[in-house]
Amino acid sequence: MPVINLRVEKLAKFLGKPLTVEELAKWLPWLGFDLEEVGEDYVKAEYNPNRIDFCSYAGVARALKGFLELETGLPKYYAEPPKITLNIDSAVSNVRPYMLAAVVRDVKLDEDAVVELMEMQEDLHWGVGRNRKKASIGIHNLDAVEPPFTYTAVEPTSVKFVPLGKTEEMTPKEILEKHEKGVAYRHLINWAPKYPLLIDKRGRVLSMPPIINGELTRVDGNTRNLFLDVTGPSFEAVEKSLKVLATALADMGGKLEKVTVHYPDRTLVSPNLEPEKMRLRLSYANKMLGLRLSMDEAVHCLRKCRLDAEAVDKDVLEVAVPPYRVDILHEIDLAEEVAIGYGYYRLEPTTPATVTVGEKHPANKMAEIVRQIMIGLGYLEVMNFTLTNERVHYEFMRLKPKNPVRIANPVSTEYTIMREMLLPGLLKNLAENKHESYPQKLFEVSDVAKINRRQETMCERRLHLAAVTCHSTANYTEIRAVCEALLANMGLTNWQIREAKHPSFLTGRTAALYVGNKQVGVLGEVHPQVLNNFEIENPTAALEIDLEMLLLR
Amino acid sequence: MTGLRLHEKKTLMALRMLNGRASVDDVVERSGLAHAAVMRAALTLSERNLVKIHEQKWRVAILNEEGEHYAQYGLPERRLLRALLRLGGEAVVDEAAQEAGLNAGMVPLALGWLRRKNWGVIKGKKCMLTVGTEPSIGVDEKLLATIFEKRSVKVEDLDEDLKRALETLRKRNLVEIEEKVYRELELTEEGWRIAKKGLEITEEVTQLTPELIVSGRWRNVKLTKFDVTAPVSAIYPGKMHPLQQIIQRAREIFLEMGFTEIRGPLVETAFWNFDALFQPQDHPAREMMDTFYLAYPQTGRLPSKRLVEAVAKTHEDGWVTGSKGWRYKWSGEEAKKLVLRTHTTAETIKYLATHRKPPIKVFSVDRVYRNEQVTYKHLAEFHQIEGIIMDKRVTLRDLMGTLKTFYTKFGIEKIEFWPSYFPYTEPSAQAVAYHPKLKRWIELCGMGMFRPEVLAPMGIKYPVLAWGGGLERLAMIELGLDDIRMLYANNVGWLRRTPLCQ
Repeated sequence: MPVINLRVEKLAKFLGKPLTVEELAKWLPWLGFDLEEVGEDYVKAEYNPNRIDFCSYAGVARALKGFLELETGLPKYYAEPPKITLNIDSAVSNVRPYMLAAVVRDVKLDEDAVVELMEMQEDLHWGVGRNRKKASIGIHNLDAVEPPFTYTAVEPTSVKFVPLGKTEEMTPKEILEKHEKGVAYRHLINWAPKYPLLIDKRGRVLSMPPIINGELTRVDGNTRNLFLDVTGPSFEAVEKSLKVLATALADMGGKLEKVTVHYPDRTLVSPNLEPEKMRLRLSYANKMLGLRLSMDEAVHCLRKCRLDAEAVDKDVLEVAVPPYRVDILHEIDLAEEVAIGYGYYRLEPTTPATVTVGEKHPANKMAEIVRQIMIGLGYLEVMNFTLTNERVHYEFMRLKPKNPVRIANPVSTEYTIMREMLLPGLLKNLAENKHESYPQKLFEVSDVAKINRRQETMCERRLHLAAVTCHSTANYTEIRAVCEALLANMGLTNWQIREAKHPSFLTGRTAALYVGNKQVGVLGEVHPQVLNNFEIENPTAALEIDLEMLLLR
Repeated sequence: MTGLRLHEKKTLMALRMLNGRASVDDVVERSGLAHAAVMRAALTLSERNLVKIHEQKWRVAILNEEGEHYAQYGLPERRLLRALLRLGGEAVVDEAAQEAGLNAGMVPLALGWLRRKNWGVIKGKKCMLTVGTEPSIGVDEKLLATIFEKRSVKVEDLDEDLKRALETLRKRNLVEIEEKVYRELELTEEGWRIAKKGLEITEEVTQLTPELIVSGRWRNVKLTKFDVTAPVSAIYPGKMHPLQQIIQRAREIFLEMGFTEIRGPLVETAFWNFDALFQPQDHPAREMMDTFYLAYPQTGRLPSKRLVEAVAKTHEDGWVTGSKGWRYKWSGEEAKKLVLRTHTTAETIKYLATHRKPPIKVFSVDRVYRNEQVTYKHLAEFHQIEGIIMDKRVTLRDLMGTLKTFYTKFGIEKIEFWPSYFPYTEPSAQAVAYHPKLKRWIELCGMGMFRPEVLAPMGIKYPVLAWGGGLERLAMIELGLDDIRMLYANNVGWLRRTPLCQ
């Protein structure tokens, strides 16, 4: 989750009211923040990715003002009529078709504000832009360039410009090949014959969306007037990102000014700061929340969340949603706003009237019984991961590698496949506990995964039992006795022990367990080569049984 | 004298019969006790000042293997002498050796000593005796026989002649000299007093046997008194893994509260893991960084076309739900991808899709996966507690009440519900508990009411309360662990030491 570091002194300026760390730490959770760290003069808080507007001081202050009733209802945003024009060339329609823009004048950016702006940009890139895939933002020093601007697409080697943070001119092709941002994001455009480019009246490059801005329009502490551009293949995401960014800058003291955007087929004025109107049925909100609020009370709650609401029918509120609230999709989202405005801390827990009778799952019922018997036989339960690797699972066990359930994106070489049996895990446990006294008797009742094309997931989980006994005189007889004690106490009578061969066990001391006419398990003395592979020093006898075969009996 | 044990009494009595002072070996012989038993008794008796232990170091001579052989069959020169006498006092060496039964290696030795003892001479290939009759047994032979008979002989007890003979035998490498500690036991005055009065000797046994019980002979024996405070070696019971105990406890609480247990596959299609829960296909949580995708098998099958279409439309434009939807082109191929389920909510929604009649209360405590590097606070696979209630009239406050009951049963008292966000619930919250030791609030679980965009495509008409949270976090608090990996380390020492909880 994204994090914002809030210094109380600075936040108090936005609020226009003094604030202590304790007060801030007390109220933030009720707005949906998680407290990460409470310092002497700051609070570090995590916010949920749906509330992307919390990525700036301005956004947090806006919400706090409402919650503390310093200022409630819809914040009003005004943008000057457009003076600047942006032309969209049809050449971009095949690579990254949409661009919207806004102008912000008279901003006073100290170094902190520049950093905050960069962070806001990154949060939007991630949260709304889906890592620049759906939308990406450029923030420019308007005074370094000359309108009108043109969003076009060019041949990869036809122009040269100095990318942000560099001193040498590069072609777009070179940027994708060499620049770190180019390498990171080239997959978004390198399949196209022409790359997107934003240029000014004189052909100077503002940015190469969605990769990098030009050094020319770098924003610093002295920048007064900003030009914001957002590009992407999703008009929705482009518009949302611009709304959040523009309103935050307005709250930071900037004066918004619209931009005329000429598409080949239409002309728009951007940004669109009109509040969206949605309807909420009061009875619906009350029913979901378990409250009995009146119209007035619900309106009050919504206003605390910086929404406007008015009754348009007996049970219906018309709610105005500010442009930065990109998370409100449905009536239910407004119901939640009512709850937040009401205060989650005021919601008294109640006991539901629902009466039902509970029941255990049959597989877990069986697991409980098996556990009880194994514990009675003196075995200690272990719990291993279902993820493992082929070396331990096959090579150490003297088994031919199979084609198990395999992870496409493993995070380490230790966990690359799902286990097909429990035994290798138990042997690993024995190897890691050589310093503990013997005998060591371990068991596990848990899941393995097997390929099964009849399942809609092409594989299935199966409940297994495995047990090992490890000490200087462990042998087949011992594990056979354990196996039969288990089966008898599970209420089985019709099992057979048949001589068998298994690469992990000693020939002549290995048996297969059959119930009915199906093999359900294997038991025997673990092959000395397997013991050597795991570096186990004591004789070990083991069994493994597919419990689900017994369940379906 | 009270408090004397059987072995101690027997030792005292034996010493009395041996006139108050004797070697340990003699006491062993007289008392019929084992050597070690006499030594243990002697130590206790000396501590109580009834017996004095005299310790002396002796040098003793013992025979080695060759010495023992000669002691039995005679020295080689004696055997050669006798053979020559039988052959008339003169014979070819080989012939004499054969008659004497000497092997080739022993011949030079026998000839050498024959000459040194002045019993005969060698001329060319012949050997002639210089004596007419057999000379008497020499001192060396006598000593050899004595040591053989007594097994060992104290060097200091030998006279000058015998000491010289010992030196000869030692040089012939037939005897070895060893140092031996020689102990004598002597009754003290007090010991004499007690021994003279006589002691009642009752048979004492350590282990009660079936024979003693059945025959009734237990009445005539005395059972050895044990030092009941002495340490014994540890044994370990078989038992449930501590994490398993907590899983079972969570299950019990659910069952007590009337929930039915469900269990679904560990591998799921992205459809059930994400799409059915209104998680947009370009959502960061679906990226490879958080979710394990499968390389084999790669894709699964989607459910009915009607259901898939409803989900697709809801994602794209909200379908009939009144939602705006996520405004993108939904892909069936993306939904077919197989993943290791990232939450058990995949199972609950699947269950609801086929169980639409209220009331429904189901739960699971089961395995889930996240593509995370395993560290002291993160695992790539862990357990999730999951519960849902579907009924005609259930509310957010009911969800809070249910969770309060659930966690109170777990022993967690101070609990709050903060607003939160999940793509598939609205309103959403998280339950947090105050951790008195860490002095901060920690997250217990996420919770909320399933969104209309989740319910409508499944054909569910009533509100659904849902919550889910990690179990291992609770286990860490319960077990006082700082490192989450300990729960899966299977450290046998830790498992044996950790008491059963609850």
